[in-house]
Amino acid sequence: MILLEIENKIVETTLKSRLNSQKPDAVDQTVADYDGVVFHISNPGRDKSKIMVSISIRSYAQLQQHGVDEHLATIYGNYLTTPEEGYDVSLLFDLENLSSDKDILIRNASLLKRNCVACVFEKYFDLQKQYEDQGVQSKDFAIINYREDETLYIQAQKDRVVVIFSTLFKDENDIIIGKVFMQEFKEGRRGRQEAPQVLFSHRDPPLELRGTSARIGDNVAYISFVLFPRHTNPKNRQNTINVIHTFRNYLHYHIKCSKAYLHSRMRARTEDFLKVLNRAKPEKVSEKKTISGKTFVRR
Amino acid sequence: MCLQNFSSQVIERHNKPEVEVGSSKELLLTPIIISRNEKERVLIESSINSIRVSIAVKQADEIEKILCHKFMRFMMLRAENFIILRRTPMQDYDISFLITNFHTEMMLKHKLVDFVIHFMEDIDKEISEMKLAVNARARICAEEFLKTF
Repeated sequence: MILLEIENKIVETTLKSRLNSQKPDAVDQTVADYDGVVFHISNPGRDKSKIMVSISIRSYAQLQQHGVDEHLATIYGNYLTTPEEGYDVSLLFDLENLSSDKDILIRNASLLKRNCVACVFEKYFDLQKQYEDQGVQSKDFAIINYREDETLYIQAQKDRVVVIFSTLFKDENDIIIGKVFMQEFKEGRRGRQEAPQVLFSHRDPPLELRGTSARIGDNVAYISFVLFPRHTNPKNRQNTINVIHTFRNYLHYHIKCSKAYLHSRMRARTEDFLKVLNRAKPEKVSEKKTISGKTFVRR
Repeated sequence: MCLQNFSSQVIERHNKPEVEVGSSKELLLTPIIISRNEKERVLIESSINSIRVSIAVKQADEIEKILCHKFMRFMMLRAENFIILRRTPMQDYDISFLITNFHTEMMLKHKLVDFVIHFMEDIDKEISEMKLAVNARARICAEEFLKTF
């Protein structure tokens, strides 16, 4: 599993088992996802024939400025209901009259988080097209605080969309391993014309963000993706969003993986050293006894 | 490694590695530094009843530095098993071994020397291999990610 999944597996399997069974069971589950997202699957009012899927996203208020509500309405339509208390969006499935194909419903529900975030990308991809046609551009940014202290910036320009992730490394060693990764991302573009340009800056925010409230610090890194119209056209757009919105988690996941790998390597090597050291211990000369119980002495 | 049992001259019934205590000059020998270059060097300090071997491992860049640091810490946390490993390295060195007369009585001397040499040979190899592993993983990750666009 090199790439992360964009759907939420637990939501998907839970809904699958509930929607496909003849006699629906009661359900009450709270599921966590990346970036502090929490799902809640329950039966509202203990009615087993209804299932509610709610999601809470920390940056939902910011997403609302970019039209997340309208975006979700086009995808989920009638399934949207008034949000459950403590959550931002709720979907309600009435098991007795499910209109369309169940598999698509389940798939869409498990993509709830992705669809929420996607609205910002879609909006700015459209803006870029607009700027290109009109020949003007504005300098405003979409700022999404997708995690505490970590921010996503999106800016549309005439010929490109710039997506900038700011990420915080808790461990100082992570920065160094992260740098190695980023170097490879930078170079990975060679020989791949279709890939977007990736820029990386450590400590200081990139030029586009000068003058904003972007953090500066030793443990902060900024990664910018430059998306060209070939990524943002309606044909490739969905794929681009799928990939790019998992980027931060992808990077951190692999940093953790390589640390775990290094650790297991060290363990193996340490054992190897111990073996060599133990060779230095002379073999214990154990007493040998004859069958009758007398001590056997080798002469 | 000609070590002999030697009780403390200062305190009765104490028997401590003289190279650590350094209580008397006459018991210490001149320390030797063997170095390949500025970064890779070995310091051998000996005394009447103990010998201390400190090793500085090559660290060319940041990643090698953290790998080395992590690895050494990992081993020193297990110093109990390593018997001759010192829990903290000497200043400016990455790892130290302390061999006392009790160790040489308990274990075979030439095998102990073998161990130290084996250790020095392997540590460089291991660290550069680990570095390569990180780089290879990073490359594969980046390629996979960018391929999907």
